[in-house]
Amino acid sequence: MTIMFEKSAPPRPAAAARTAPPPPRSAESSATVGSASHGRPPAERWRPGQLEFFVLALVVLLFAQPWIVDRLGAPAVQTWATVFVAISVQALPFLVLGTLLSAAITAFVPPSVFTKVLPRRQSLAVPVAGAAGAILPGCECASVPVASGLMARGVAPAAALAFLLSSPAINPIVLTATAVAFPKQPEMVLARFVASLGTAVLMGWLWARFGRPEWIKVMRRPHDHGGNGKWENFRLALQHDFLHAGGFLVIGALTAATLNVTVPKHVIDAVSGSPWFAVLALAFLAVVLAVCSEADAFVAASLIGFSPTAKLAFMVVGPMVDVKLIALQSGTFGRGFAARFSSATFVVAIVASYGVGWWLL
Amino acid sequence: MVVVVRRDVQAVLLILIGGALLRISLTDMYLRYVKDGLRPALLAAGVILLVVGLISVVRDGIQRRAEEPAAAHASAEATGPAEGHVAEPADEGGHGHDHSAGPRAAWLLCLPVLALFLIAPPALGSYTASRSDNVVAKPAAASNDAGFPALPPGDPLPMTLADFLIRSVWDTTAPLKDRNVQLTGFVTPGKAPGTWYVTRMVISCCAADAFARKIEVHGVAAPPTDSWVSVTGRWLPNGQIQADDAMPALTATRVDHIPTPREPYE
Repeated sequence: MTIMFEKSAPPRPAAAARTAPPPPRSAESSATVGSASHGRPPAERWRPGQLEFFVLALVVLLFAQPWIVDRLGAPAVQTWATVFVAISVQALPFLVLGTLLSAAITAFVPPSVFTKVLPRRQSLAVPVAGAAGAILPGCECASVPVASGLMARGVAPAAALAFLLSSPAINPIVLTATAVAFPKQPEMVLARFVASLGTAVLMGWLWARFGRPEWIKVMRRPHDHGGNGKWENFRLALQHDFLHAGGFLVIGALTAATLNVTVPKHVIDAVSGSPWFAVLALAFLAVVLAVCSEADAFVAASLIGFSPTAKLAFMVVGPMVDVKLIALQSGTFGRGFAARFSSATFVVAIVASYGVGWWLL
Repeated sequence: MVVVVRRDVQAVLLILIGGALLRISLTDMYLRYVKDGLRPALLAAGVILLVVGLISVVRDGIQRRAEEPAAAHASAEATGPAEGHVAEPADEGGHGHDHSAGPRAAWLLCLPVLALFLIAPPALGSYTASRSDNVVAKPAAASNDAGFPALPPGDPLPMTLADFLIRSVWDTTAPLKDRNVQLTGFVTPGKAPGTWYVTRMVISCCAADAFARKIEVHGVAAPPTDSWVSVTGRWLPNGQIQADDAMPALTATRVDHIPTPREPYE
């Protein structure tokens, strides 16, 4: 739909009704806001802009609420909405934490700090950065913006990526949750730590050896022209990073909620018998369910009938590769990067799970 | 064709999301989606987003509008694709050299906010429960010598579904025999017509990782699906023991309707 307003026409009620009809799906509504807002190039005087239409659409939606709720009453739709909102709500505080850290790194920490702390040789910097992942308390949503911030401050991509992979898997909160979920198998905590850190370091080294700089699309942040203070830069970086990563988090949550509601459980159960296939099946399940890394141990523990190695694979793959993370990485580092990096990590994580499972479990 | 998000709209987005987080965590609504323990994090995130949003309104919205001529606004909007053509590189976050435009993907953040305010999705209920089976892991007390502690006194004895499942499935001393117990949950229709389960969903982190605890109820006709009930009755030994996918049963003597509890998950 193309609605062009004449130069300074204020939004009339009739036009408003056409602009944002109460749609059954909110996705359309935001698209409507977007497409309606770019009217005609340079106008001299004030005319309704994005903000006005955005607010107008919200008001219309607010009044159409009963009508919309009626249309969305089916149990499957409601369940989908609950899971979608739950994933988003669960992830948002961690995303805020991650973007706060990332913005603080960008605004306050001079690049020289990292060159001093990290060993100069990349092959050494990778394991150091991987082990440093243990100090970021949070789940995977926080790690992507932080890794991006580290790269922006000149940290070698290989080291930043090792940090990206290890931090959601080996931090104290996640390891404690794992110990609680597997009370009779303390070796599971050790296995998870070893396999996750191993995968992260191996991926860092692989990137250092084979990765190409052009595979990573450096995100263009709002950069200052020297006129802004540090706090202003902090706020701008925070605002940009949060909105950017948040948008991609929503894509991930939409995908995960859809798969969560549509993939029948018995399909997964059917493969639990074969030890080799079970590992692949749970690794795949970890990718589609996108359970937060602080909870995945409880989910793994509830997957009765699967071998310990398969459960380990679920917990090693989940924090490193899942639909939510792929969406976040595509947004932050580019689609080409996410495709290469996620598929390679998936393979390495499964191999590490087999190896460590055979060794420790 | 999605247009870049202008600075002042970015501020509104931040306020919306922050407000939504505060709205659900200041009431008990957040308990439909996440665990109790996440509340401080939700409040903190909500406040941070709200504050950043408000600062942005002042700095980007009001000050900039006052400082910059209208032409700047118009050029920001002109970057939108008129006929599916993108005026600048189509990469995410691409804002050329126009500093008032933000990441395109940010529009999607409207979706969870709209879902919360317009639909207010309920806690998971019978639809999810009917697609999930009991998982009663063998507890440590079932294998060590000390065994289970004695059940507390009480007639009827209020129990969680988790307790009832573990005691009926794994406690070989059968402590539930001849005891009146009281279970609280919602109604899920059974697979066979006329049968029903008293049900609780269990979440470890958020509603995406939920699974169900179900106990078959005999002796009283099924109340309306998804209604909350308090069931009083006795354990009905049905051979469902010593198995982690067991489905124990209960013969009910009375079923009372109750309001939805504050915390819908167990």
